[in-house]
Amino acid sequence: MTQIKYMLLVSRQGKVRLMRWYSAYDSKERSKISRELATMVLARKAKMCNILEYQDHKVVYKRYASLYFICGISSDSDNELLTLEVIHRYVEAMDSYFNNVCELDIIFNFTKAYEILNEVLVCDGSMTETSKQAILRSVMTMDSLETSDNLDQVLS
Amino acid sequence: MTSLYAPSADDVMRRLRPFGLFFEKSLKDLIKGIRSCGENPEELERFLSKTLSECRQEVESPDLDLKTNAVVKLTYLEMYGFDMSWANFYILEVMSSSRLQHKRVGYLAASQSFHKDPDILMLATNLLKKDLKYDGNNDVLKMGVTLSGLSTMVTAPLARDICGDLFSMLGSSKPYIRKKAISALFKVFLQYPEALRDNFDKFVAKLEDEDMSVVSATVSVICELSKKNPRPFVQLSPLLYETLFTIDNNWIIIRLLKLFTNLSQVEPKLRAKVLPKILELMEVTSATSVIYESINCIVKGRMLEPDDFDTALSCLEELTKFCNSNDPNLRYISVVLFYKIGKINTGFISEFNTLVIRLLKDVDISIRSRALELLEGITDDENIAQIVQILVKQFADKDVVLANKLLKQTRQENIEIEVPNSYKIKMVGTILRICSLNNYANVPDFDWYLAVLSDLCVISQDLRNENIGLQLGAELRNIMVKVPSMRESCISTIVGLVSNNDICRQLPMVFRECLWCVGEYSSLVSNGNDIIRLVIQQRRLTPEVQQIAAQALIKIFSSWCNTSGSIQINDVKEVIQELIAFFESLSSSKSFEVQERCVEFLEFFKLCAESLEQNDEELPLLITEVLPSFFNAYELNPILHGTLKKVQNSLSIDLDTPFLSEDEVRKLLEEESSKHEAESTLASDLDMDGEFEEDEDEDVEEHAYKDEQLSGRNHTDLTEEEKRVLEKERRKEKLTNPFYLEGDYEDYVVKKENPLIDFSSDQERNYPESSSLLVGEFKNVSENPMKAKKERKKKKKAEVLVDEGVPEPTGDAAVLPDPQLARSISSSKNSSRINLKMQTKLESFNFDQPQQYVEDSGIVGTEGQHEIDQLRAKFAGSSLGQDMDEEVVIVKRKKKKRSKDKKHSKKKDGKGHLTHEESEKRDSVPAPHVEDFPASDPPAQEPL
Repeated sequence: MTQIKYMLLVSRQGKVRLMRWYSAYDSKERSKISRELATMVLARKAKMCNILEYQDHKVVYKRYASLYFICGISSDSDNELLTLEVIHRYVEAMDSYFNNVCELDIIFNFTKAYEILNEVLVCDGSMTETSKQAILRSVMTMDSLETSDNLDQVLS
Repeated sequence: MTSLYAPSADDVMRRLRPFGLFFEKSLKDLIKGIRSCGENPEELERFLSKTLSECRQEVESPDLDLKTNAVVKLTYLEMYGFDMSWANFYILEVMSSSRLQHKRVGYLAASQSFHKDPDILMLATNLLKKDLKYDGNNDVLKMGVTLSGLSTMVTAPLARDICGDLFSMLGSSKPYIRKKAISALFKVFLQYPEALRDNFDKFVAKLEDEDMSVVSATVSVICELSKKNPRPFVQLSPLLYETLFTIDNNWIIIRLLKLFTNLSQVEPKLRAKVLPKILELMEVTSATSVIYESINCIVKGRMLEPDDFDTALSCLEELTKFCNSNDPNLRYISVVLFYKIGKINTGFISEFNTLVIRLLKDVDISIRSRALELLEGITDDENIAQIVQILVKQFADKDVVLANKLLKQTRQENIEIEVPNSYKIKMVGTILRICSLNNYANVPDFDWYLAVLSDLCVISQDLRNENIGLQLGAELRNIMVKVPSMRESCISTIVGLVSNNDICRQLPMVFRECLWCVGEYSSLVSNGNDIIRLVIQQRRLTPEVQQIAAQALIKIFSSWCNTSGSIQINDVKEVIQELIAFFESLSSSKSFEVQERCVEFLEFFKLCAESLEQNDEELPLLITEVLPSFFNAYELNPILHGTLKKVQNSLSIDLDTPFLSEDEVRKLLEEESSKHEAESTLASDLDMDGEFEEDEDEDVEEHAYKDEQLSGRNHTDLTEEEKRVLEKERRKEKLTNPFYLEGDYEDYVVKKENPLIDFSSDQERNYPESSSLLVGEFKNVSENPMKAKKERKKKKKAEVLVDEGVPEPTGDAAVLPDPQLARSISSSKNSSRINLKMQTKLESFNFDQPQQYVEDSGIVGTEGQHEIDQLRAKFAGSSLGQDMDEEVVIVKRKKKKRSKDKKHSKKKDGKGHLTHEESEKRDSVPAPHVEDFPASDPPAQEPL
């Protein structure tokens, strides 16, 4: 429903904490986008709206604590409010997974953050799993499976 | 000494790894290391490159745990801008591990770095095929991981191979698998649309799945697919319509609305049914995003007719609520939607002027900038002054907004806003656009507008934007030309601007247009010599300005000498000397246009100076007679954009009528036989220039032309009678003359400026009924709207000339175009932004794939298919060539076989007609394969 082109997590210092590209960008474009967006978004004031136009598409961002969640969406057919909602769902999911998530959690467990993102945004960012329970359940089961997998190997 | 049972150090390390105990650098160490480097970039650089080289070694280790760890670290380092595509093959190895832990890491890394890398995707295909082999009994989560990773890696051949498995997964008893399969199918359909065609019903049945998340995924997929091609899904509308009102999940409702947006673009009949329901939904729901999406659906789904004021009003009412909310996001999106509604019909939004004016003062610049776009729709002659005033005020660098006014808080808070230059530029453009809208219909008072323009020139000079200068200059020129009654005051404003050095330097384009105006209307200026000096003193002008300046100077000089009564000969001499010096300095300019003009004028002034030397008493004829005749022959009138082209296209040259009858020619020939020699050579020189292409061969004609020129007699002076006779004769001659070309020749010649342009013959051609000359029509066009305007707006002080144009050569072209039409033409030029209707989305329609969607017809476009197969073969062949030297064990054998296959087919491609059969044969392979599986699969669905 929302064709998300990319999702970036940027810290207040402008450091990229997570990035996921759903459209094909080469590494040059990627670094350009993340650099430019970080400066653009960080410069905005709290009272300003969370939507900006960038290149040929729209960018929706939202700040949670010290992290900016930045999403690029196609400009003509996407619902900006819904994108904000998607970001919020993602944050909520991480919050319950890490139990009060903070930036450090995401830094040190970035693979988990990616896993959760994969569950939230399915299929190249074009779809969203909206149930928090479902997201958490599948991530948790995968985790437990992984541990038991390891255990099996060690025991063998 | 080592006992047999004592494990070696290596062994211990290996066993401990699964527990996250690494003796190599773990991800945690990496992150800690990066953080400890802190703000020291050099140290960080060193640390990162060291880690990277470690990773390079670790990734080659045979131990999968170690390899996985390295891949994780690389994935992390990618965020620091280190390319990891070199490790793709190692990632592939990690992916192929049987353990979920490795698989997860592998698929994660793959989805980060595999994007569109054809080599690696070829190899991944086989792995994915293996992982997706569905036997009804697979590990649910492993499947989930694979399916998630799949979406980044689907290629056409892979899609063909796995779609069978995916469809059988749709029958799985686990909603998780069904959901993932649906979403993976999306990518498959994109690559391999035949799958959708053949299994349409099976796929669509999932809309009625008992699990909500599966329904949601299906709706999403259909919605996304309908963006690419909505047609096949139109038949689903009744079902979707039903779902829209039985479901209470807002997420799905929004997606359904999106889907209807796409569908109603191709199926206008949906509007009648869906629109009332959407309006109802808008009233019932409390979720803003649903309301927003409903309006979106109405606007983008083209359900809003330009005359449907009721619907527009109910949408706009909701939007007004949004605009008044505290949430800047709501304000922003509603402004955008306002604009889209205004695009359909400006009448819809014209009443919302107070709202828009408030939005212009919003805290957020991006909202303001959107509100600027709305201004075109809401300005009229009453509020324009207020709006312009607000905008000009905002030019102050810091704008302070009282936050409590917007947020209704008790605490007062001033927020300072930096107004970026891009916004200012847009603002100037908007001011100019709203003022010039509908041929200045909104401008109540041109004195005021002139003041605004000169203010804008002064304040926008720091923006250093060439475009602004161009627009401002053009606007000043337009006022000058179009509002005759204002010329006096306009010229004084312009002279003021010209004498402002800052503006000349910062906004050269304004300077240029001003100069042109001063030159053209120099008769209104009395102290021409001062202006000439002023311009001459300007140094460092760009060639574009110089070229206008040269022309302007001579015009000013001409009017100054001839209009101001008591002029001192000595003054004239002085000015001429200065001008000569000026033109001399430019006569070696690098810009050839400037050079040419300056050299011409230089020579002219030298002549003037010479003749002044001879006669000190009064000005020579050269200055009093010849010079004004250069410029004052015609009054300049505003012409509609593109008119010249139309004139060129619709006019023809009369090549048939001779200038003189043959008898006359003979007589002349005899008379002037003595002069003949010299002149004919001259004339043939002219011929070489290609000016008079109609003078093909005969000396006679050359003569005719020359004589024509000498006597100053125009062929149109001939009476109708004569003309017709002559025409007949010419035609006869034309038939026998081999040098005449046929067909479009006339139109071509017409493009050259030529005294032979024949209006009357054009009249006969295009407007057979009208007997008046086209010139007459010109006049009518220009006069009529003016009259109409005067009547309509009597209070208006100044009268604005309407752009003149040629009526469209349509059937009823003989009827004079009404002023409304003329206005709409000119306004569509000025404000093409808001008056044009929304473009269809289908125009930007983008098929990622070259395949034709012939969904349910069951017939494959063999030609298209043929092409695709060729492409695929080519793609596979080229990427395989590179694969050969890579050390990849897993998939190599199969690959080779494939590659032979492809090469084989490629070779055949070269041999022309053989290819067709071949590829058709290959085409027929997948279809039975796909149709096969439903028969064999049902048992597989049951056991789960």
